Amino acid sequence: MMPVDQSIQNLTPEISIRDLNFYYGKTLALKNINLDIFKGKVTAFIGPSGCGKSTLLRTINRMYDLYPGQRAEGELLIEGSNILDKGVDTIALRAKVGMVFQKPTPFPMSIYENIAFGVRMHERLSRSRMDDRVEWALTKAALWDEVKDKLNQAGTGLSGGQQQRLCIARGVAVKPSVLLLDEPTSALDPISTMRIEELIHELKSEFTIAIVTHNMQQAARVSDFTAYMYLGELVEFGKTDDVFIKPKDKRTEDYITGRMG
Amino acid sequence: MSEHVQHVIRAFDEELNRLRTHVLEMGGLVESQIQAATDAYHTGEIKVVADIVAADKKVNDFEQMIDDECVQVIAKRQPAAFDLRLIMGVSKIVTNLERAGDEAKKIAKGARRLHERGQFMAPGDAIDVRHVASMAVTMLRQALDAFARMDTAAAVEVIRSDDDVDVGFKAIIRQLVTFMMEDPRTISGAMDVIWIARSVERIGDHATNIAEQVIYIAEGRDIRHPPKEKKA
Amino acid sequence: MNHLRIRRKAVNFLALSLSLAAMAFGLFWLAWILWMVIDLGVGALSMSLFTEMTPPPGSAGGLKNAIAGSLIMVGLAMAMATPVAILAGIYLAEYGQRTLLGKVTRFINDILLSAPSIVIGLFVYAVYVANVGKFSGMSGAIALALLVIPVVVRTTEDMLALVPNTLREAAYALGAPKWKVIMLVTLRSAKTGVVTGILLALARISGETAPLLFTALSNQFWSVDLSEPMANLPVTIFKFAMSPFQDWQQLAWAGVFLITLGVLLLNIVARVMFRKVEQR
Repeated sequence: MMPVDQSIQNLTPEISIRDLNFYYGKTLALKNINLDIFKGKVTAFIGPSGCGKSTLLRTINRMYDLYPGQRAEGELLIEGSNILDKGVDTIALRAKVGMVFQKPTPFPMSIYENIAFGVRMHERLSRSRMDDRVEWALTKAALWDEVKDKLNQAGTGLSGGQQQRLCIARGVAVKPSVLLLDEPTSALDPISTMRIEELIHELKSEFTIAIVTHNMQQAARVSDFTAYMYLGELVEFGKTDDVFIKPKDKRTEDYITGRMG
Repeated sequence: MSEHVQHVIRAFDEELNRLRTHVLEMGGLVESQIQAATDAYHTGEIKVVADIVAADKKVNDFEQMIDDECVQVIAKRQPAAFDLRLIMGVSKIVTNLERAGDEAKKIAKGARRLHERGQFMAPGDAIDVRHVASMAVTMLRQALDAFARMDTAAAVEVIRSDDDVDVGFKAIIRQLVTFMMEDPRTISGAMDVIWIARSVERIGDHATNIAEQVIYIAEGRDIRHPPKEKKA
Repeated sequence: MNHLRIRRKAVNFLALSLSLAAMAFGLFWLAWILWMVIDLGVGALSMSLFTEMTPPPGSAGGLKNAIAGSLIMVGLAMAMATPVAILAGIYLAEYGQRTLLGKVTRFINDILLSAPSIVIGLFVYAVYVANVGKFSGMSGAIALALLVIPVVVRTTEDMLALVPNTLREAAYALGAPKWKVIMLVTLRSAKTGVVTGILLALARISGETAPLLFTALSNQFWSVDLSEPMANLPVTIFKFAMSPFQDWQQLAWAGVFLITLGVLLLNIVARVMFRKVEQR
């Protein structure tokens, strides 16, 4: 037990969540969440449908702002400031916190423009520097070799797995410090899934990653830390190795071993 | 601990139950093998030795079968937490049972050598070995019981009683060394008894290993190699 | 078992026969109409249609001024209506989905969508023609524009609503402000659908007669002056077809053929584009 706690203490939190409550209208969807997401680590959120794991992810980049009636209370600290505050510039926040969704969502434009789209929101780059950035992002997403000869073709013409890597490249291109992945492989075939998982492993040296997944084995494979959520509560949070081999909470154990809870 | 609810996938439950049952069957077989071997040593009824040697083949088959089952469950079900620990633990328990079975075979063969040579030791020594042997068999039975009930308290008790077996073993060695120094003609016979006693002591160790695995399965605590300062 | 199978087959046969018969009934009239138009229209077709003015009764002529007038008014109507309608559609789909203004606008638009075109014509007559004091090409274009707006508003809103929300979220997640999300992502991915809607509206107004009767009226002579009455195909057809003169009736059939051909082409283009949307 001791060495585990020690290694957590040596990590720096990228995001600190304190006493977070989230409401859909009057329904309380997240109950008093306290959690640190550590820099340069992959944190997986698992739990049955409706447990609030996606909601938590969408709180981190204020995605809920788009919908009236949704609100969050508490503290969600990134670089020391509470991003849940009213006056926060969500555009700047989203430059810092990128997100990739369940279904690949290429924009109706060329592969090149798909990548450049996000960059243009935050930076003015010369043509050649933009070219470099596009190549850099596509290389990071392990897609460059497959698309370098067809950058002007539509992003929608790629295969599902390629589209999802394009979306990851698009997020990476903005150079965020955090990447949020919301079930990024649930619409992909097994081999494409493995490619994405390998990619997650590559990316964590430069980005802090939070991933929501329904696939417990995937959480076990890709993450350093695992959070188990149930009915809007954070039931257990710990090193993935501990959570999957000796979970502390009975509910976590029942979930990850596939028992009826 | 662990009153576990059923898995959503029933077949998974069945597979794990089958695994447990097979371990207990194999354990029962090894236990009776050891019992028969020590009886043969004590009574000189060496006709049963052939049966004991033959039974070892069955034990080996069990080991292979259970290991196969473990591999299959891992491949098919991607077990986690308790299930994963159970399977890993079972795999190790089975190895220890198989080795305990080998020790029973050695005891039986040693007994046959002794009795064929007609050089049986004084009754007192036989009783000593037999006493330690029965302690070892009890340890094994308790370890298997602890496994069946996932009873960590019982497992801790097994581990503790290994010290008694070790003390008994050392006493036997001391006694036999004295014999051999007094009368060199007893040396070959005493050596056989030492081997038998050594096997008995090893059986105690295997029972201890099994008990350790039970604690690992039940609680996820690995107590095999405790840090020095904790254990006196 | 066997009994059930026979029954099932019988019911299936009956249902299939009935629907085939219904389809044949509908197609029969359509085919007849098309046949009549082609039979009588092609016969009346000649180059002079495009080079000569509408003639007085008893003499030869063409539809030049009517074709030109129709093109001008339809073009002007589209130019006026499309930007307004697309912006309104964007408002309804992206900004005002749940607001009161949005709901009221949508409701009124739906009423306008199903309003008979003669009502629109009469309306423009009352507020424009009656005030200015004379029929004009401009009033015709306005009446047609009023017919286009509800169609395009509706299709634009529907096509934008079809764009998956995840696409919008993906754009927002990159830090794009709302107007950029709409212009660069949402509208762009609904583009073909919106253009299809415009084409369908175009097809609809190119054959409308009623609104032009009270507005542009008609003109025997060549005129591109928007403040004067303007010749146009539908009204000319109406006028010529009702007349007792053989030549005029011939020209009416030729006009009908031209309009039908135009609308058919527009429909085909719209359909091809729409198929592209569905393939995505």
